[in-house]
Amino acid sequence: MSIVETLLSGQLLFAALVTGSLYALVALGLNLVYGTLRMLNVAHGDVVMLGAYGAYWAFTGWGVSPLLAAPAVAALGALAGLAVYRGVVRRLFASTGQTSTRLEGNSLLLFFGLSIILQNAAAFAFTPNARGFAYLTEVYHLGNVAMTANRIAALVIAGATCIAVAALLSRSLLGLSMRAVIERREAATIVGVDVDRVQAISFALGFATAALAGALVSMLEQISPFSGFPFTIAAFIVIILGGLGNIGAGLGAALLLGAIETYGVALTSANVRSVLLYGAFVAALLLFPRGLFARKSARA
Amino acid sequence: MATTATRGWLGVGIVGVALLAALPFFANPYLVATGLTLLMWLALTQSWCVLSKMTGYVSLGHVVFYGIGAYLVVITWQSWPLPLAIAAAGALAALFAVVIGLPVLRVRGPYFVILTFGIAELVKYSILAGEAASGTASRILFGAPDLLVIYFAMFALAAAATLLLVLVSRSRFGQGLRSLRENEEAAETLGVPVVRYKLLAFVLSAAIPGMVGAVMALRSTYFVVGQVFDPMISVTVIAMALLGGGDDARGPILGTLFLFILSEVLWVRAPLAYMLILGAVLAGFVLLAPGGILGIVDSLRARRVRSA
Repeated sequence: MSIVETLLSGQLLFAALVTGSLYALVALGLNLVYGTLRMLNVAHGDVVMLGAYGAYWAFTGWGVSPLLAAPAVAALGALAGLAVYRGVVRRLFASTGQTSTRLEGNSLLLFFGLSIILQNAAAFAFTPNARGFAYLTEVYHLGNVAMTANRIAALVIAGATCIAVAALLSRSLLGLSMRAVIERREAATIVGVDVDRVQAISFALGFATAALAGALVSMLEQISPFSGFPFTIAAFIVIILGGLGNIGAGLGAALLLGAIETYGVALTSANVRSVLLYGAFVAALLLFPRGLFARKSARA
Repeated sequence: MATTATRGWLGVGIVGVALLAALPFFANPYLVATGLTLLMWLALTQSWCVLSKMTGYVSLGHVVFYGIGAYLVVITWQSWPLPLAIAAAGALAALFAVVIGLPVLRVRGPYFVILTFGIAELVKYSILAGEAASGTASRILFGAPDLLVIYFAMFALAAAATLLLVLVSRSRFGQGLRSLRENEEAAETLGVPVVRYKLLAFVLSAAIPGMVGAVMALRSTYFVVGQVFDPMISVTVIAMALLGGGDDARGPILGTLFLFILSEVLWVRAPLAYMLILGAVLAGFVLLAPGGILGIVDSLRARRVRSA
C-alpha cells in the first residue's frame, strides 16, 4: 500500500478515532485530578487496569455484558477515588503541607508506590497472565470500512462520556467551581468555593472515568496486571499536549495522539510503536511545556 | 555533640569499608556476588544524589546512563580492551548528559520527573527497535573477567561515588546546588550560576552509572537490552535515596542497606511480596517519615539530648 493510500484509508481513520477517544477518556480523569490538586497521579492507568478486570470478571464469571458492567465499574471507581482522597491524599497534605513546593515531588513518589502496590496485588490475585474475551465481534461495513461492534460501542461511549463531562464543566455550578479551582485556587477559596469538596469530587470523577475506560478496553484487547501503565503514559502525553488542566484541548490532543500512533505504526512497523509514543512524550515536554493550544495569557 | 556524631559515623564507615574490602578474601562466591550487588546499588544511589538530592530535580531516568554504559561494553565486546571500554562507557554517559542536559534541565518539578523517565524509555525502545531491525535480540558474552576483578572495580566505583557526593555536599558548589533547590530564582538573583551548576551536577551524576553499567554487563554472560534499561532500577535508586533521607553521603548508605537487605530476604522467595513491600515503603515513607531513616535517627537523638 502506498503512503497516500495508507493516509487516506478509512480503516485507519476509524482505528485512530477509537484509540483517540479512549485516550481522551483516560486523560480526562488525570487532567481533572492534576488541575484541581496539582498532583500527577502515576497510578491512574492502574485504575484503568482494575476497571478492565472488573468488566472481565463480570463477563466471564456471571455473563454480564461489559456494557452493563461499565456503569457499575465506574461507580466502584468513584468510591475508590473518594477513599484514596480521604485516606491518602489528605494525609499527604498533613505531612507535607498543601502549598509546599515539595508536594508535587512527594505526591509523585506516593502514587508511584501506590501503582507498584496495585500492579503487584493484581498480579498476585489474578496471576500475571494476559486475559481477554470476545464480545460484540460482529462486523459492520460503512463503505469499504469494516468495523467491529465492540469498537463502535467503545468509540460512542467514550466520546459521549467526554462530551458529557466537558458539558458538566462548562454548564453546571459544580463545573464552574471546578474550573475556578483549576485556574485560580486561592481566589476560588476567597469567593467561597469549597476546595476540599471540589478536590474530592475531582478524584471520584477521575477514577470513575478511568475505570469506565478500562471496562471499554477489556472488550478490545487482552489485559494484564501491567497493562495500565501504557495508559498512564498516553494520558500524560495528552494532557501535556493539551495543556495541564485544560480539559477541552485535551480531547483534541487525544485524537492527535491516537492518529500519531495508528498512522505511525501503519507507515513503519509495530516495533516502533513505543518509540513513537515516548518520542511524542519527550517532544511534547521539551517543545510545548504549556501545551499545543496554550493561550497567550496562560498562567505561569 | 556534632563532633561525636561525626566521629561515630566515621567509625561505622571505616568498619564498613574494611569489611567490604576484605569480603572476597574470606567469603564464598555467592556472598561476594551479593556484596557486588550491594556496591552496585550504593554507587548508583550516591551518584543519583549528586543531582537529585542536592538540587531537588528528581530524576526517574537514572537507568539510562547505566544502560548506555552496559550497551557500549557489549557492542565493543572483544574489539576494545575492557578498561578502555569501561572508561568510554563513563564518558559516553557523561556526554549524553551534556547533550540532553540544557533542554531537559529547563523543565521543573513533576515534569522533570516524568521527562527523565520518558527519555530513558525512549532510549530503551529506540535501541530495541534498532536491534529488531538488525535481527539481534540478545547476545552471549564469552571470556568475561573473574568475579574478583569485577568486585574490586565496583568497589572502586562505589567509593568514587561516595567520595564525589561527600566532596560536592561540602563544597561551595554544593551550597549553590542547595540554594537553587530551595529557591531557584532567588539563587540566580544572588549570583549562583544556576544553569551551569545544574548541568555540571547532571554530568557528574551520569558518568559513574555509565561505568557501573559497563562493569555489571560483565557479570551476566547473556545480554538483553530490556534488562539493562529496566525502569525498576531507577525506581529502586529513588526508593533507596528517599529511605535514607538527608542530602549528604550517609543517607544513601542507610537507605541502600535497608532496601538491599529487604530484597535479599524477599526477592528470591517472594518477588511479588517484595514489590508490594517496595511500593508500601515508598508510599509509607512519603506519608509518615518524609525525612527518611536519617530523619528518624536525628529526631531520636534530639529527643535523647533534650531528655538528658
